[in-house]
Amino acid sequence: MSTKIRKLFPIILLLVVPCVLRAQDIKLPPDIESLSAKAKETVEVNMDGPMLRWASKFLSKEDPEEKEAAKLVENLKSIYVRSYEFTDEKAYSTAEVESLRSQFRSPTWSRVVGVRSEHDGENVDVFFRMEDEKMAGIVIISAEPKELTFVNIVGPIEIDQLADLGGEFGIPRLKTRPPSSKPLAKADKGDQK
Amino acid sequence: MKSLRVAILVVCASSLAFAGDPEFHTIVKSIEHTYGVHHLRIPFLGVAMFFARPSGVHGLKLAVFEGFHSPDDTEAVRRVVEHSLGPEWHPFVRVLSRGKQNGETTLIYTNPTGNRMRMMIVNLEPSEAVVVKMDLSDDAIEKWLKEPGEEAEGHRHHQKVRDEDKERDRDKEHDQQMLAKE
Repeated sequence: MSTKIRKLFPIILLLVVPCVLRAQDIKLPPDIESLSAKAKETVEVNMDGPMLRWASKFLSKEDPEEKEAAKLVENLKSIYVRSYEFTDEKAYSTAEVESLRSQFRSPTWSRVVGVRSEHDGENVDVFFRMEDEKMAGIVIISAEPKELTFVNIVGPIEIDQLADLGGEFGIPRLKTRPPSSKPLAKADKGDQK
Repeated sequence: MKSLRVAILVVCASSLAFAGDPEFHTIVKSIEHTYGVHHLRIPFLGVAMFFARPSGVHGLKLAVFEGFHSPDDTEAVRRVVEHSLGPEWHPFVRVLSRGKQNGETTLIYTNPTGNRMRMMIVNLEPSEAVVVKMDLSDDAIEKWLKEPGEEAEGHRHHQKVRDEDKERDRDKEHDQQMLAKE
């Protein structure tokens, strides 16, 4: 490394580190709001830590599924749901969804599920974030011809626990199948509780 | 004397829907001040809300602003609302429907304390705004937590039905006045 670069290294580090931290800390991708301008209907749900801890008290202690969800929710930091419904099938472009997905293609994020259905045009991607070798968040991007849903769950969560949260707080219910079959998962908003 | 008692009852009942709630009062005053509108005084509102409140809801307060021209940028309204509410109120759900003539925005804030959830709903239509404050029962809280988007949609539907009822009542009143004149 030349002396000049060595001198510049701390400055580069100072410039790069905040960008990396921002990338790890994505709550909502910056360009997601542009989809709202095209949508016939936008539904936004925000639940932060205190609200989630409070909400966990209202999940049924008798229903085993809800009991699991309550335990999980207590430790989460936040949940953000953005759902856009469009009038026309071509209201948003593939490039726009790809731009959303690309923000979760970084060393801290891994894609665990990717479904592309040519039959009904439904595409689902699930990304998870690792922090100190533990799962620290999950992002779901579900794109249908006339609907796009983005979910960001921030906090400790395992991929198999995602099913427990489906149907709560506006999170789509994920139908998971054995790893051998394809597709791996299917988002089904119509099958919520 | 009897009519005086009835009049006092009516005044008290209608003011019940508005009084005794500083947060609700602040938000109503902010909208009035910022957009130069006044909320409607609806006779019998307190009595009507006592008998016809949605299930799982109590402490319902309602302010209707007719002639409110919703700005193109509803973000400005959101800022006014959030400035009026304290930090203990959390933005929970926002629903935006686009349409040249029927665009609608619903902003929902919650204030969870102890075992109850207070909810403030601001609904903006092209020529009307409505502010609703309510306390939710456990059952209603569960519904809202499960399907926040659906519940917000449901609230908008109820709002529309209330608006239609109000319009029908006004038409009836107008017809009666015309008949009396004749």
